[in-house]
Amino acid sequence: MPVGGWLPLATLTAPLPASTDVVIVGGGLAGCSLAYYLAQHGIETVLLERGELNREASGTNAGSFHFQIALHQLTAMETHNIKDRLLTEVRLHAEAAEVWSMLERELDGPLDIHTTGGLMVAETAEELQLLRDKLLIEEEAGLDMQLLTGRELRDFAPYLAEDLLGASYCAQEGHANPSLAAPLFALRAVDAGAVVRTNAEVTGLAIDPDGGTGRFIVRTAAGTVRASRLVNAAGAWAAALAGQLGLQLPIRAEGLHLNVTEPREHVLGPMVQHIGRRLTLKQSETGTFIIGGGWPARPESAPARYSTIWESLAGNTAIAMRVVPLLADVRIVRTWSGVMAFTNDLQPMVGESARVPGYHSLMATTGFTLSPLMARLLAESMATGRTTLPPTYDVDRAGGHPIPT
Amino acid sequence: MSVGPSYDVVVVGGGPAGLAAATEAATSGLAVALVDERPTLGGQIFKQPGPGFRVADAAALGKDFRRGRALIEAAERSGATVLLRTAVVSMRGTSLVLVEDERESTAVSARHVILAPGAHDRPVAFPGWTLPGVITAGGAQTLVKTQCVLPGKRVVFAGSGPLALAFPAQLVGYGVDVTVVLDAGPSPGRRAVIRLLGAARGNTDLLRAAAGYRLGLLRARVPLRYRRIVVRAEGDGRVEQVVHAAVDAAWRPVVGTEETVAADTLCLGYGFFPSTELLRLAGCAFSYDEDLGGPTVVRDDWLRTSAPSVSAAGDGTGVAGSHVAIDEGRLAALGALLELDAIAPDAAGEQARPILRRLRRREAFRRALRPLHAVGAGIYELATPETTVCRCEGLTRERIEEAVSTTADVNVVKILTRAGMGLCQGRNCQRQIAAMIERRHRLALPDLPVSTPRAPVRPVPIAAVADGTIGDTGLFTLDD
Repeated sequence: MPVGGWLPLATLTAPLPASTDVVIVGGGLAGCSLAYYLAQHGIETVLLERGELNREASGTNAGSFHFQIALHQLTAMETHNIKDRLLTEVRLHAEAAEVWSMLERELDGPLDIHTTGGLMVAETAEELQLLRDKLLIEEEAGLDMQLLTGRELRDFAPYLAEDLLGASYCAQEGHANPSLAAPLFALRAVDAGAVVRTNAEVTGLAIDPDGGTGRFIVRTAAGTVRASRLVNAAGAWAAALAGQLGLQLPIRAEGLHLNVTEPREHVLGPMVQHIGRRLTLKQSETGTFIIGGGWPARPESAPARYSTIWESLAGNTAIAMRVVPLLADVRIVRTWSGVMAFTNDLQPMVGESARVPGYHSLMATTGFTLSPLMARLLAESMATGRTTLPPTYDVDRAGGHPIPT
Repeated sequence: MSVGPSYDVVVVGGGPAGLAAATEAATSGLAVALVDERPTLGGQIFKQPGPGFRVADAAALGKDFRRGRALIEAAERSGATVLLRTAVVSMRGTSLVLVEDERESTAVSARHVILAPGAHDRPVAFPGWTLPGVITAGGAQTLVKTQCVLPGKRVVFAGSGPLALAFPAQLVGYGVDVTVVLDAGPSPGRRAVIRLLGAARGNTDLLRAAAGYRLGLLRARVPLRYRRIVVRAEGDGRVEQVVHAAVDAAWRPVVGTEETVAADTLCLGYGFFPSTELLRLAGCAFSYDEDLGGPTVVRDDWLRTSAPSVSAAGDGTGVAGSHVAIDEGRLAALGALLELDAIAPDAAGEQARPILRRLRRREAFRRALRPLHAVGAGIYELATPETTVCRCEGLTRERIEEAVSTTADVNVVKILTRAGMGLCQGRNCQRQIAAMIERRHRLALPDLPVSTPRAPVRPVPIAAVADGTIGDTGLFTLDD
């Protein structure tokens, strides 16, 4: 892994300014990329991080680009207007693919991006039909898709179990290094004039109704800063932060469990997912297999990190071995967990609140894939006042309650 | 994963502490399982010949071998279920996941768990430490004891503490040409000898053994040099020569004192680290004592940890040797019996009294010995910028220092560099990285966070642990 994207400690611990235009709370990929895009627009920005940058979901996820329609989106579909909503979402996925493909050049640094392509396999006839249905939407949205079955699948992916019925293949899928992305954005944000401050937990959040341009009073472990606009990019802790303003957001934290193996000879090109079961599998550049897909980790009270769960390891690896049988004798070396934010409808929550002007939310489910794009769109709307964000991302949607003022 | 039986007591680790604990608990009539990952009981110190080997003359193998055999036989006769080639890979509360022979996983539960995981060699990184021919004392011992293979022909031994006498003396006994013994600690002067004699009560066996080792080295004309440390191992593809230097009180090399000696093997014995993975996974509280090997688990009078119904005994709780481990194993078993109402409190107290007395005397002796082998900070500064520190991931000191300059959190260093993510699961590099953080950020070691404990605590093949019967856990379900 190339070194060089890290901010020096002296920068990260510099004194806070007394006031700024925008305060971003949260030093994950969402917050760091937003700081970068805002700074590009010339907007005065201070990013506050409770601990260290990139320490939570942004740095602990597996770094996959999920552009195909995923299991959880299909699950959510049944109660909604399926096709229209999915089309909007997948168009954004295609746009996110575009953003990621340009990012190393734009940020002038390594992100270890590998466009390996991604397979999503089907075991049953129903699953295969589901692949065919979703493929139509994905192609319409502009993804580069293919359906592989029988001999064609065998030739393309000889490592897959022979009895799998088919797989959809998305050429744009792949992965980046999650330990590089947020820190590189933070570095470039600082280059462009943003202030990035770690170990600055927000201890108090208040609105001064007469405050004018400094109406948000943000008290932190590192001092107080006033801002005219506030962005909540606190990920799994977004609801708690909003709670300090009396806002109730329908955001919950879920711990996810991941497994990684010893390194082996490189056999797996594309990422492998399953349309009907919880599996994301890929082989990293170092040769290790990373196995996840939405298995739970056990919540622990801070500062302890969420525990990994043996049953998650056992269940997750069983599906992996079912799909890629050569994994049988590969050894699991480690498990780890990350805490991710989910809205109740699994839709992102991005934009400005109509009820609390100046309050913004930046929370993308499937956060690693979508955060840079969401941050770019939010920065554009904050700079220009015009939003291109889908209405389904509304910050004030069901579950929120007005703040008492 | 199959569901195995449930026991009154599960003892993890078949070394002296675990053997003593299992014997004590099983002879009291409890259902006991004794689990060890190796093919034979005995642990490190009483390691038995490997499969296919037979002991022709036990007497020739010495007192320690006979002491170990007696302990093992007592455990085998005790009625405890002995599970060999079985690794404990995960633990929650008093439920354990066992993997037998890297093939099959079983969940077992216990009313009480005694962890006796033992210790592993303190890893020390210096230029050349990854060359073939550099071996730890524990590794060399395993070769000799299980396979009757000598580590090399011309051996330099470098280390500190009691091991720096005992181990080279053993090697000489096996017929190895030990070129020189380098002890990083000071030579035992008059004051130290007086101090040791003052604490001799109950410890004459250890003093006699030390004198015997010393005599053995003298007879074989092996030079024993104090206050010297290995600074480099050199050679083309393997060790050909070893460079050593004098050190100051903090074990930092003194400029201009380097000497080079030819050798095909460099054996390192700078003491041991407790194997704390399971104790951490169990959620036990820790304190810190560098001379006991670093993180030491907090225990009460009956050796119970802060985790409910989990006790800990032996070198895995702080390295103090086999005599202490045996007594601790017994004491932990008495504590478990007490907790399970399998012994009257008076009887437990009665049986514990002589054990506690012996342990107090050993502790006094250890304290008297301390100035002779207290570990100096210089041991963690020998790597040059180009020296590999994390050998699993091939990371140099320079690379890791770069990450350390931006953070004092060992977990962040791990994420930034991959240090500690490999097959050794951080056992080799973690202490070195902690020392870098300590220096760079001027922190005291006990305050440093350790990396988050995670299952599996041993690498384990997917086929052995995958379980297709575990249902969908439904994380991404919609709220109504």
